[in-house]
Amino acid sequence: MKKKLIEALNEKAKAIERLADGEQRSAEAQAELRMPQGCTTIFDTGWETNPRPTYPVGNCQASARDFHGCVGDCWWPAQMPDGLTNHRDFDEQCPNVARDWRKLKYD
Amino acid sequence: MIRLHSLLPALAAVLCVAAAPPAAAGDRYYHLGYGVIQVIDGDTDTIVADIPIKGATREADVTPDRKFMYVTTNRHLVHKVDLARNRVVSTADVSNDGWDRVMFGFVLAQDGRTGYGGFMSRRTQNGEAVVGKPVVAQFELDTGKIVRSVEVPWGVAHLVGVRDGKEILAFGQDLYKIDTTGADMRIVATIPMFDRGVNMLPFWDYAFDNGGIASMPYYTPTYMGVMLVDQRTGAIDDIVLKGEPAMAYSVVLAPDRKQAYAVMDDLTVIDLVNKTYGASVPLGEGTSYGVNVSSDGKKIYVGGGGSTLTVFDARTLKPIKVLQMTSDGMDVRKIRFQK
Repeated sequence: MKKKLIEALNEKAKAIERLADGEQRSAEAQAELRMPQGCTTIFDTGWETNPRPTYPVGNCQASARDFHGCVGDCWWPAQMPDGLTNHRDFDEQCPNVARDWRKLKYD
Repeated sequence: MIRLHSLLPALAAVLCVAAAPPAAAGDRYYHLGYGVIQVIDGDTDTIVADIPIKGATREADVTPDRKFMYVTTNRHLVHKVDLARNRVVSTADVSNDGWDRVMFGFVLAQDGRTGYGGFMSRRTQNGEAVVGKPVVAQFELDTGKIVRSVEVPWGVAHLVGVRDGKEILAFGQDLYKIDTTGADMRIVATIPMFDRGVNMLPFWDYAFDNGGIASMPYYTPTYMGVMLVDQRTGAIDDIVLKGEPAMAYSVVLAPDRKQAYAVMDDLTVIDLVNKTYGASVPLGEGTSYGVNVSSDGKKIYVGGGGSTLTVFDARTLKPIKVLQMTSDGMDVRKIRFQK
């Protein structure tokens, strides 16, 4: 039996598991989808997660400065609008994230 | 009957095009933004023009006569920008035949009519998703229509044209050399990068800004390097840097090509002769994608990412001026116009 890699800890997660009870495989990927590629040519994520020991540590500073760069190419799609498929005109409603973020209307 | 005065606007437009002055001499910097490209005069460091453009800018290439710059947006639109009049004069869409394409990598061909792009594609057929094979393709600049293509491995993110366009270098997990001289494009060599642990984000190469040398930083688990590609000869110079890596999105060459400047969270001088690092200062405005340098080597321009463009003194690395741009940006490109 395949080892269970993640475990539901809270009620919402357990409810999702109950929804999936008895579910059979209904679809299968026909190809290895890599669209778009990761944040660099090899590793995902990229070197924004830089290893420096001093300020600024880690990701881009401020994160707003990296917002459009990620949106446009569909990086971090769980955290940002997906500019390649679902939010292609994102730049029109929010060309300057630090100034225009209140105008955001995406889900 | 057509009256003369009804033709006057069209006649005036034709004369205007014919008499369009060349762009003023000197350095011009192009802040590639969102819905707008802003032009900065290199003498006064002021914004002298706004060029409205549809979409999120990404890549750019310039015609040999420096009259036009082609800029890609939203990974599928290609805009022709008249550099004398500072406006978009035409736009082509590479998604025009039922395929939804995204383009990572763009260079102009030498024929003046076509360009090359690195494409991934998708469409639906009978309700099912169909994913096309990744290709590097030549397409018409006026229409976006694909002329010919060659299949490449997944992950191609950037192109550099070399040897008068006879060869295209496609940067992906490895580096693929594509011969364009025959009827069919074909991969003639693969230079390993993946097995060497080379990790590259090759979106900023400054080939035309550097005068025909593409410059891209890369990383391995143990060191940082700078890859230089001579567009005239196709020669690749792989410079391994000694010391603690400086994290950088992009690297531009100083005019003497003995130094380079790298940016991400810092502005760092790279000594290309001794293959090591020089001075480094944090970027006060924050993370930036793009960097450029004046033709006399005295000023450094840092922008892209957020909506600022900072001008630095190249000798002291102190900021001289911060320009507030209309939009966030992807890059800062430089074109030197001659008198």
